[in-house]
Formats: sequence, structure tokens, C-alpha cells
Amino acid sequence: MAQSNNISAAQISADYERRRREAQEAAEREGVANAAEVAEDEPQEERVETAAQKKKRKRQQEQALAKIKKSKGKKGKKNEVGEPDSDDDAAWDMYTKKTPLPGQLENCELCDKRFTVTPYSKTGPDGGLLCTKCSKEQEAARKKDAKPKKQAVSRDKRRHTQSNLLDGIVSDGAKSLEQLCIEKVADNIRDVEEFGDLPKSLLNRLSQLLSKRRVITSRTLDLFLRPDYDTIDIYDCGKLEVDDYIKMFAVVPKAQNVNLRNAGQFKDEVIDYIVERHVPLRNLQLEAANLVSNAVWAKLFSHCGQRLEYLKLTWLDYSMDDDTFDHLISGCPNLKRLKIKKCFRLSDQALSAISSLHNLEHLSLRFPAPTTSPALRDLIASIGANLRTLSLESFEEADDEVLSTIHHTCTQLTKLRFCENDLCTDAGFVSLFHNWQSPPLSFIDFSSNRSIDYTQPDGPEEDPTGLASAGFETLMAHSGSRLEHLEIASCRHIDYAAFARVFDGKKEYPLLREVNISFLTKIDTTIAAGIFRSCPAMKKVTAFGCFNISDVAVPKGVALIGVPNAQDSIVQEGEMEMDWMP
Amino acid sequence: MPAGSTLSTHVTLISSDGFEFIILREAAYVAGTIKKMLDPTSAFAEAVTGRCTLGSINGVILEKVCEYLYYNLKHKDAQDVPDMDIPPELCLELLMAADYLQGKPSEALS
Repeated sequence: MAQSNNISAAQISADYERRRREAQEAAEREGVANAAEVAEDEPQEERVETAAQKKKRKRQQEQALAKIKKSKGKKGKKNEVGEPDSDDDAAWDMYTKKTPLPGQLENCELCDKRFTVTPYSKTGPDGGLLCTKCSKEQEAARKKDAKPKKQAVSRDKRRHTQSNLLDGIVSDGAKSLEQLCIEKVADNIRDVEEFGDLPKSLLNRLSQLLSKRRVITSRTLDLFLRPDYDTIDIYDCGKLEVDDYIKMFAVVPKAQNVNLRNAGQFKDEVIDYIVERHVPLRNLQLEAANLVSNAVWAKLFSHCGQRLEYLKLTWLDYSMDDDTFDHLISGCPNLKRLKIKKCFRLSDQALSAISSLHNLEHLSLRFPAPTTSPALRDLIASIGANLRTLSLESFEEADDEVLSTIHHTCTQLTKLRFCENDLCTDAGFVSLFHNWQSPPLSFIDFSSNRSIDYTQPDGPEEDPTGLASAGFETLMAHSGSRLEHLEIASCRHIDYAAFARVFDGKKEYPLLREVNISFLTKIDTTIAAGIFRSCPAMKKVTAFGCFNISDVAVPKGVALIGVPNAQDSIVQEGEMEMDWMP
Repeated sequence: MPAGSTLSTHVTLISSDGFEFIILREAAYVAGTIKKMLDPTSAFAEAVTGRCTLGSINGVILEKVCEYLYYNLKHKDAQDVPDMDIPPELCLELLMAADYLQGKPSEALS
């Protein structure tokens, strides 16, 4: 196949050469005649003129050539069976007689160098041919111009941007040197022998990153233990065993702040060791320490309880029942901060036990077991006055009276969370915030306060359930001036007009920097723009499932997360431009 | 440098072992601590002479720091900046230097 091609190509080329030669001879004869006829006495001038008009003629020739090529193509298609296009060939030869052909010599249009024309020689800006070097340069320049366009959006890049957005990283520019180093250390943790004199805050961040990558083992744990430390922060203890926990308190006997997450193997022996060695615990956070027996819990709190100021117990599903919890409370009268979450065996009895902790300033509760509204009310009524933080998650039986108790007793709150409830009504939320003695709050989380009656997706028409329009407006009127963090995800009975009034672009919430408006499907582009305009300090807007937001101009430095219809505008540079706002 | 006169475009950073790095003032300002040292409204010796002696940072680390300062300056407003390459053997010392030089108390500390 290749051979036959070669043969025919050779034939064609031979024919072509022959025809070209004939035409050239004819042209030369003609040219000589013309020269003799027209300008016999000024041959030099003629040559000069030729040089000056060379370019023009070349362009004309090329245009003609293009025309011929076109017509040739058409004709060829038309009469495929017809005789060879001898006429066209003649025309071709006639017009191409002066164009240098592959193999011939020509002067480069740009650098005037003499060079051999090849099929790859490029045409210059004025239509002449270019030498190899200039051709290459021209190509390179062309590619350079084309490149930026091509870079526009690659999938990986977008994925990366999105991933960063979810982590709340929207700042332009390079990562901080600290961040770079911490990541590098985490990458090479196997080769690190000791951290040396790293400051506490850096140790904490390293622990977080290493825990996230799940590389905290018995060996890497040693890096975080030094006799002069008073803090142990390990966010993932999943790979640690009893001996490792005992080692912690052996190496760091003065540990005051202990934070162990995922501490499945934190067993009786460890607590025995802590009690034996009189570890001066003041802040204790334990997650998933399920192998500690009730008796040993009681022992721990009766020994260390007096000193404890901060206690956080999460994910205890087997140990820690109501009676043990009573021991805990009676043993730790000085607690200032108490967080009890996902302890499956605690119920109303635990709530009433907490009400004896009069030093509490921060209280966060999430009880999976059912509790009753009166028990919760009594708790708030007895200790609410001192509270700075009150976080009640998923108290499904809490009703408007709980809100009213909060209104009457809690007057020093800065942080309030009351989420996942479908009993409280909008009127209840209005009365909570209306004329509330408490100064404006800085953190409010009222996620998922809505009706969950599927027969009435919009909730009852009269007296709406959950945080609805009136409640939301009263909330913003009360706390808007100091509010920094607002979560109202899934409070779907707040209507459009309420959002439009609250975020009208004229009212300003100077400190609000994080807001979660996920699954509030009524929010559209205009409201989103209003949020950006009303909150100059905004950093992060979480808006999963807000399908009506699209093409919103996101101010620089703001992370807009989860919006499915505004992928391209998610990080946008430049200042806000919202002249189209109503 | 006396107050009132124009600021020099370059400043000198001196490592604990005596290496001197002359870098753009703008780049030096990336580091909060150095920026405060060079604050023209202050009467610090560093601000007057334009020379900062960083006694806790040795030459090898300071060279890398200077590299970072320029890297940061170059990518000031760029998006998706490629990470700077840091030799693993330097990263811990560099981390300490970074902590010192960023010049603000870390929020994790409070």
C-alpha cells in the first residue's frame, strides 16, 4: 500500500516538475519579449520596481491561488469521471510560476535571510514566506497568545476550589508559611523525632491535622508528650491502647487540660492511674470512652471533681447512666462549662441533677433519650440566670414554655442554640426575643425549627410552627447589632417578604460573618445579594439546596457554599456591584 | 533612617549566624513581626537603620523565609497558588520561625 502510494506520488511529482519547467520556459520567453518591447533602456528600474511590488504581487497571486484551489475542489467533486483538469493545471502553473516552491530558495520576509522553502514554511504577516527560524518564532508567539484562554476552567481546579471553600478557605494569595510547614510536617511525620520547642498553639494544630489524617499512633503520640506540658490534645485516639493512655499521664503528670477524642480504649485502668497519681485535671474532654465502668466514673469524679471546671462527655452509649451522672454532678460542684452530648442513657433525672450546678456559665446538651419539657424548664429556671451559653439540641418535647422560661431567666446569654424542634411556635420565638432583657446575642442557631407534618408542607396557616417570619424578624431586631453567627437552616416557614425586609441592603448587621441558610428554598438571588450587602463582615454563607440562587455576584473574600446553580460565580473578585437591586 | 525622609526600597535581615539578606521592603512587610520592627512611625533601631537582626533564626532558615516572603508577594492576589517547596528537614525550624514572624497571637492560643 505504502509502496504504491510512493510510486504514484513520485509520478505525480515528476509530472508536476515537467509541467512547471515548461511553463517557466514559456514565461521566460514571454518576459524577455516584454522586456525588450516595453523597457529596453531601463532594465535596472524594472528590477527595482519588481522588488517594491513583490509583496503586492505575491498577495494577488495568493488570492488567485486560493480561488483556483477552491474552484478546483468543487470541479473535481463535480466531474469525477471527467478528463483530467488540464485547464486548471495550466492556470495553476501560470499563477504559481513566481511562487517559490518546496526545495527552492527564497528570502525570508522578516529577516531577509536566504533560505530553502519547505512545505512547513509559514506565511508571514504580509503574505511572504518565512525562514525556519522566523516560522518557529511566529508559531511560539501564536501559542503564547492562545494559552490563557485554554487555562480557563479545569475540573481539577474547580474541585480544588470547592474543596477549599468547604474548608472556609477563600482568601487569595499564598498559604501562610505556618500552614505550609504544618502540612509538610504532617507529610513527613514518620521522620520526625521530636517537635522541640514548638508553641502550644502550633502543637494543637499539628494534632488536629495528624488526627484528621489518622496517623496518631503510639509512636507519634510521643511527640506531643513532654513533662513540662500541661495540655494533652489528641483528636483521634483510635489507634491508642491502654498503655498509651497511661504513658500520657506518666510523661505529663501535670496535665490540666486533657482532650481525648475517639478514646475507645480509655479504660478503667487509665482512670485508676489518674486517680492514683493525682493528675491535676481541670479541663477534661472525653469522647467515646465507653469501656469505663460506672463505678470507676464515680471514683474519678469523687477524686478529681472539685478541681474540674470544664467537662465534656460525648458518645457514651453504654456507661454513664443517670445514677452515675448524679455522682458526677455532686462530685464536680465547680463546673463552669458542661457539655453532655449523645450519652444514650441520660434522661430527665440528669437534667434535674444539672440544675444544682450554680456555677455553670456554659451548658450544651443533646440527649438522645426522650426528655420532658417541665424538666428542661426547671433546669433553665434554676441555673439560667448565670448562663452565657445555652445550647439545647434536639429537645423534641420542648415547647413554647421553655422559650418563655429562657426569656424570663437567661439575661446574660451571648450564645443560644435551640434546634431540631417541631413543637415551638412562631409566637413562642417572638415572645422570646420581644422585650428580652438579655443583651444582643453573638451566636444564634435555630436550625430545623419547622413543622414536620407531611400533609402540610408549608405548616399550619394560622399560628405557624417553628421559627417563621415574625420570629425571625424579631430575632434580627433584637440581636442584629451584635450577631456574628446565624444558623437558620431548614426553618422553611420564614417567607420571602420577611427575608426581603431583614436583608433589604439598607439595614446593616455589622458583625455578622457566618450564616447558614441551607434548605430555605424561598431565598433567591436578590435575597442572597441583599445578605452580602447588609453584612459587610460576611465571610461564609452556607446555602445547600437553595436552588433559586444563581448568578449572584459574590464579594471578594466571601465563601458561598453549596449553591448548585451558581457554580461559576462562587468566588468572584472585585467589589460588590448591585445597582440592579430594587 | 530619620523620620520624614523617603523610605529605602530595600531592607536588611540578619540571621543569628550573621548572614545578611537584602530584600524588598514590600516583601519584608509580609511578615507581621518584621513589619512592626520596621514601622517608620516607631523609633525602633530597626526602623531607623533598616536592618533587622533576627537572633532566633539561622541563615539557612532565614534564606527560606526570604524565599517565602517573595513567593507570598508574587502570589498576593492570585488564586490557586502552587505550594512552595519546603525541604522536610527544615520544616520544623521553619515552623517556629513562621510562628515568630507572623507577628500575631494565634487564635488557638486564646
